[in-house]
Parts: sequence; C-alpha cells; structure tokens
Amino acid sequence: MGKKIIKYTLTIIVVAFLAYNSVYFKKLSDVKAAASKTFDPAAYARTYLDKKLLPAANNAPDIDQLINEVKSNPGKAFKAYAHTLNIGNTRFFMAKGEGTITNIDESDIYITTTGKQNIKIATEYIFGNALRDAPGIITVNDFTNSMDLNNVSAEVNKLVRGEILPPFKSKAKKGDNISFAGAFELNQEHLNLNNIEIIPVNLIIK
Amino acid sequence: MRYIKILLLLVLLPFAGCKSRTDNHQKKMAIVVSTLNNPWFVFLAQTAAAQAKSLGYESKIFDSQNNTAVEADHFENAIASGYSAILFNPTDANGSVANVLKAKKAGVPVFCMDREVNSPDAATSQILSDSYSGCVDLGKYFVKSTHAKGNYVEILGIVADNNTWARSKGFHSVVDYYPGLKMVAQQSADFDRNKGMEVMESILQAHPDIIAVFCGNDAMAMGAYQALAAAGKADKVKVFGFDGAGDAIQGIKDGKIMATAMQFPKVMAQTAANYADAYFKGKRDFPKKIQVGVEMVTADNINDYIAYGKKN
Repeated sequence: MGKKIIKYTLTIIVVAFLAYNSVYFKKLSDVKAAASKTFDPAAYARTYLDKKLLPAANNAPDIDQLINEVKSNPGKAFKAYAHTLNIGNTRFFMAKGEGTITNIDESDIYITTTGKQNIKIATEYIFGNALRDAPGIITVNDFTNSMDLNNVSAEVNKLVRGEILPPFKSKAKKGDNISFAGAFELNQEHLNLNNIEIIPVNLIIK
Repeated sequence: MRYIKILLLLVLLPFAGCKSRTDNHQKKMAIVVSTLNNPWFVFLAQTAAAQAKSLGYESKIFDSQNNTAVEADHFENAIASGYSAILFNPTDANGSVANVLKAKKAGVPVFCMDREVNSPDAATSQILSDSYSGCVDLGKYFVKSTHAKGNYVEILGIVADNNTWARSKGFHSVVDYYPGLKMVAQQSADFDRNKGMEVMESILQAHPDIIAVFCGNDAMAMGAYQALAAAGKADKVKVFGFDGAGDAIQGIKDGKIMATAMQFPKVMAQTAANYADAYFKGKRDFPKKIQVGVEMVTADNINDYIAYGKKN
C-alpha cells in the first residue's frame, strides 16, 4: 500500500513537472514588443555617420590625386580605393578636396578643384548606397535581412539631407572657396570621369 | 600464377573505373524555378542548366507554377531522386523556407537565385539582385522626367515576394520626398503581362489623368503599355519597368518605355551553379547572401545593353 502511494506520488510529481515545463504562457503584448524590437536603422546610421563615416572621410584620398590615378591606371585605382557590397560594375570611392564654386543649380553645386577638375556636389538627389558602401566598412552578412541594409543607406542619406546640407546650402554662393568630403560612384566597365557627383558628408565654406 | 594475376587485374579494373566516375558525373543539380511562364525565369533556369552542364553535371528544370505546394512536391522529388544540390528560385519568401529546410535536413545544399527566403540559415547561399538600389535609380529618373509633378500609378509584383517590396520601397524612398507626385493607385498584377494590362485598363477608368506608371517588372510594364496604347494614352503616360527583358529593351529603343533596371540573371545563375560545384568539391564557407548590382537603362545608354545583360 505504502509503495503504491510513493509510486503514484512520484508519477504525479513527474507528470506535473513535465506539464509545467512543457507549456509557457507569455503576454501577447510582450511577444509583439519582442518581435518589433528588431534592427533600428536610424540608430545604426547615427553611429555609423559619427564613428565610422566621418573618420573615413577625413582619411579619404585627395580628389585630384584620385582622379589622376583612375585616369592613368583604372584597374589599380579601383582595386586600391573602390568598394561595393555587390557583384557588378558600379564601385564607390571616398574622396576629399578643396575648390571654388563655379555654379549652383537646383540639383548640384559645381566645383573646380585646386587641381582644376570639374566635379559636382549633390544637393538635391541624396539617394543610393555611395555613403554606405564607399568606406568598405559594412558587409552584406552583417545583416540578416536585405531591407535592413537598404534602410541604412536611406537613414544615412536622411542625416546628410537634414543636418549636413541645410547650413551649407543656405550660405554657399558662386565664387566661394570650400572644402568637402564624400563619396561618389563610377562604373568600371563604362568609365566616365566627366560627370563625377559627390554625395557629401562634410562641407565647409572657407 | 599468371592466370591468377590476370584474373585479379580483371576484378580490380572496374573498381579503378568507378573512382573517376564519382567526381562529377554522379552528382546532379535540380533547378527549381518559381515559374516558366515568364521569359526572364526561363532564361535564368536555362542559364543555370547550361552552366551545370559546362561543369560536367546533369540537371533538370522544375517549374513551381508560382505555387508553394507544387514547389514542395519538386523538393521532395528532387531529394528522393538523389539530386545533390538545388539551384532555387523561390515562389514565396516565407512559404518557401520549409522546402529549403527540408533539403537542408536531407543534406542537400540549396543556392537561391534572384529571390530570397526569409531565413538567414536555411539556404547555403543566396545570390540576389540588388532590386532596392536599382529602384532608387529608377525613382530618381522618375522624378527628373516627370518634373516631380502629377498623378501616377504603381503596379506591384507578387505580394508575398520580397523583391516586390524591395523594388517598391526603393522607388518610394526617392519619390515620396516629392509632394507634387501623387500615387493615385497601387495594385498587384503578380509580375504577369496580361494581368498588368487588365490592372492598367481598370485603373485608367478611375484615373484617366495619370502621367506615369511604375511597374515592378518589365512584363507588367509591357502589359500596361498595351492598355495605354489601346486607350490612346501611350504618348501621355510614361512607363517604367524592371528586369531588362528583351521586349522592354526594344520598348526603350522604340520610345514606348522610359526606363528599366537591368538585372543580370546570367551572373546569378552561373554563380549558383559554380557555388554548387564548389560545394561538391568540399567548400563550405559561402557568403550567406551576395547581391548582384542592377543598372538603369534609358534611351541615353540603351546601346550598351541587350536583353538580360550588357553588350560584350
């Protein structure tokens, strides 16, 4: 009789233990909150801009020297300075330099650099992956979802549009001497150095 | 003694032959594609098959008919029939994950082409078009060519496919900055030309004043153009597509289509087959995801391109 009681008690304890550990209850609001607590592209972009992109821009090659190197030996220059996250022909470069504003229109500010190169600085169409990809710091496999990666570009561009361009655009005028840093793209198969448009990350009127 | 030696040699000879046969010839690649009712996917599948053949492997193309249940049957057949790798163009980013996991459990590597599945670990590698960035470029061109003013329409692809939303979001990441551009209708036509035409016909009834239509692929763009031409509005409404299909390239030359984004299916299919080959040879450290760049094609650079790629 006593053995039976012990046997039943043990069985009940084991069943209760298994049942208790088999089922979990969570508040639906907690589950939803955990699901939405995913990647925050705005926060990522803020840190990326301040801690990685701006230092990379400060250490970027001089635009005049870079263009000359691309002209004289494109293969070597692309290998040394260009980055991309894709398989393909489009590659992104970081560059910095100084120059004089020669013209301003609704999309761009036109510059002649100290090395007499004519380039544009984008002021309207701040889109695309130039600033995300050019420093070569981010890799595709840092992100589980492609859209997170895309959103990094969108948020970095938003910071440039909201913080970097307005104080510059409001004061810049033809004839001003400026220093700049940013990123631009080139197609390595159809190389065109006559239409370089820099997406800026640093702009100073001297 | 001499007879024993000859007998021994005769016994060993077939085994020596077997060694070389185990290299490539017993491995087979299954090519499972979402649909063969779209020339773009036919090209993708055929290119993958051609690359597999050039590497010395047998392959077979399976058509999922845009149906995950059919796709599941193909996976089961492929695994049961002893295919050693699956080059895969998924039907549904979420719905196809279970099929990929089934193959993974059976020890069959899966290499996704063009479309992704929503799982970071299921596929051995995913080789995808950078649809979002292609549509950022199209969005910029859309804004410039419409002078950022007017009512427009968006025709979406298959709603369950990530590419549909990558393209739509890339486009809107630019166009939504311009309040003068107002989207008056957004409807899916499942990446299908006939549906694209029907959707455009029905939208035109309610919105005859549109100035442009952005389509998630070239097949829908060509369908939309047909509807616009039938309504006598072909020269008033600008049509934008995506893919780089042959009729869209011709459409840009003829002034029917404003722009498309050239994907490179050849690069994706060949990379997938090359990865499978490398897997058979022992490689295991594949990038989980690799994106293939997309290039915008307009009347300005049309001479650099042919259907599905660049001129050599």
